[in-house]
Amino acid sequence: MADEFPFEISPMFEGERIRKDGMYAELAGPKSKGFELVRAADMSEVEDGKFTLIGPDISDMEEGSRYPLAMVYKIAGELVEADLESIVERRNHEFQNYIQGFMHLNQRDDVWMRVSKDAVEKGMTSFESVAKAIMMLFKNELPFIEAVEAIYITDEAEIDKEIDNARAVYKARDDRTRDLHDEDVDTFYGCTLCASFAPTNVCVVTPDRISLCGAINWFDGRAAAKVDPEGPQFAIPKGDVIDAESGEYTGVNEAAERLSSGEYDRIKLHSFFEYPHTSCGCFEVVGFYIPEVDGIGWVDRDFAGTAPNGLQFSTMAGQTGGGKQVVGFLGIGVNYFRSPKFIEADGGWDRVVWMPKMLKDKVLNDIPEDMRDKVATEEDATDVDSLRNFLKDKEHPILERWVEEEEEAPEEEEATEAAPQAGFAAPQMQMPANFMPSMPMTGGSGSGGVKIVLKNAKVSIDKVIIKKQD
Amino acid sequence: MAKIIAVTGKGGTGKTATTSLLIRHLTKGDKVVLAVDADPDTNLPETLGCDTSKTIGDIKEYMHEERDNLPPDINKESILEGKLYEILEEMPGYDLLVMGRPEGSGCYCYVNNLLRGIMNKLVTNYDVLIIDAEAGLEHFSRKIFRNVDDLVVVTDGSRRGLRTAERIRELVNELETDVSNIYVIANKVTDANRERISSTAEELGLELIGMIPVDEMIVDRDLAGEPLFDLPDDSIAVQEVERISQKLGL
Repeated sequence: MADEFPFEISPMFEGERIRKDGMYAELAGPKSKGFELVRAADMSEVEDGKFTLIGPDISDMEEGSRYPLAMVYKIAGELVEADLESIVERRNHEFQNYIQGFMHLNQRDDVWMRVSKDAVEKGMTSFESVAKAIMMLFKNELPFIEAVEAIYITDEAEIDKEIDNARAVYKARDDRTRDLHDEDVDTFYGCTLCASFAPTNVCVVTPDRISLCGAINWFDGRAAAKVDPEGPQFAIPKGDVIDAESGEYTGVNEAAERLSSGEYDRIKLHSFFEYPHTSCGCFEVVGFYIPEVDGIGWVDRDFAGTAPNGLQFSTMAGQTGGGKQVVGFLGIGVNYFRSPKFIEADGGWDRVVWMPKMLKDKVLNDIPEDMRDKVATEEDATDVDSLRNFLKDKEHPILERWVEEEEEAPEEEEATEAAPQAGFAAPQMQMPANFMPSMPMTGGSGSGGVKIVLKNAKVSIDKVIIKKQD
Repeated sequence: MAKIIAVTGKGGTGKTATTSLLIRHLTKGDKVVLAVDADPDTNLPETLGCDTSKTIGDIKEYMHEERDNLPPDINKESILEGKLYEILEEMPGYDLLVMGRPEGSGCYCYVNNLLRGIMNKLVTNYDVLIIDAEAGLEHFSRKIFRNVDDLVVVTDGSRRGLRTAERIRELVNELETDVSNIYVIANKVTDANRERISSTAEELGLELIGMIPVDEMIVDRDLAGEPLFDLPDDSIAVQEVERISQKLGL
């Protein structure tokens, strides 16, 4: 099949680097400009196999020269739709690299190509042969493409005219992609890169939940799993929905059991308190429950100070990490703040009471508008008391929980072993043995006494003075 | 498959000078060479007379900083590969890659994983890969380079230098990197210490494949901050490195 082309075509040439010494011409790239674009069109608008070149051809270029290059492919077919454009466009990278003596790097308006001296000597003197080979590969490998036409542009003025249009197409696509949610897909992705130091860690990456390290989104998982399904990123079939709000799926629970070697069999992707996601150790941010205000604070790796619970990131990270489900703490990637499902099971942003200023500023636009001034930072509150006052001043929605608890408290008091502090009650959950509540737990307003239960605690005190309150 | 040579040793022993003379030798032939500066403390680019500014550390940082701003479905491996090609300094006969600064405080597992894949592919384009590596062999423990054919430890005449060679040999055994051969090159050798070095090496069971004499031309250039790459053929150090290259099959 390759006889009609003056070059070899094979996947074995992928990764072939054309060095400056062996280069005939450089196209687009960091020192020039260009782009690649695939557009879906009607059958009537595409003349199958047609190639148009605007500007000089390879044979017009001097050895060692540099030119801009744009490559536009119009595709048509009964099954061709706009959503497929980016998938086809990405294949241009792969297919051009199949061509011996042609190097393609990057994508979109960052593309960077080189043609080798050897290839030109052997007859690659026209872009037409390159474009025809790519069109052939498109049709062979992607059978839904019934007709394809290519337009290559090496004329700089012409590229300048078209490049903004291409960028607008990329942007529209990105906006559509960002709108992808857990309910739109049937596969999530797992990652075991942290498994060596967090053996029971179960990292589940979904459209609405970035990996804890912040590096791997759902698309990265998909790309990696496609190339190497046995590699560190792999598919997790979503299975059936158990609970959409908290993000519990049969497929995820099965994967949790497998990946944690039976340690965990339930994970709720968007829950802080109940069966939370495990925390590896690489997480960018750790969330911590503040029982006194019944809210959740978040602190990131870059914040060197102390959170209102009296702890630093490193201390909390040490407690949370290791691939465990730790109720009361949760490791996340910064981008999870941007998720519409951000701790949905626990009230989302309405439950957030504190974060370092730098972190808050970073995600400010993603905080619901009415909540932006209600989340305290270290400038507003450095301990629980000042936090409580801040939340009251700002009428944070967390106050509603305090009221509810106050109303419920008298009935519950007898029944509950560790009576929640009226006014700032703990949620209905089992605290883990190593959970560190902020001290002191002083009596709240109107409650008839305090009962403190310490489990697995070692307490050494030099002196305790207990006085009757005046 | 490219032959992979790593040159390492205690700081100040002349490991970078030796590396650049090995590269000098290699580029005289028709082999295509990838030179890697994997020691943030050295100055292989200056020693080679090559002006380079961006490093792998910089692009890892770029990937780290920009990851939330990149198009969500962009292929990050392809971005990283493109960036790596951008910082690859293309010199006549060889390319130079600088590993650069150490990682920040975040998690680099993912980007390192991508980098391993890209490096594996990149290396196939060369006949020889020569790495100027710090003595801790950090990039090897991170498996950015998987296998090493020849690990060359450069030492000065001191017993301490040779002890370092011994320690590096122990370290290699702990790494998951495959190292086929470990050799030692003694540098800054004088008539006064020549015998002593040989016998100490033998005593420690180290395979000494060359003794580079103190070369006034190198001393002068080091003082003036001039590259060593264009040392004349009659430099005594160059001549010894030629002999060493033959032993290494270069």
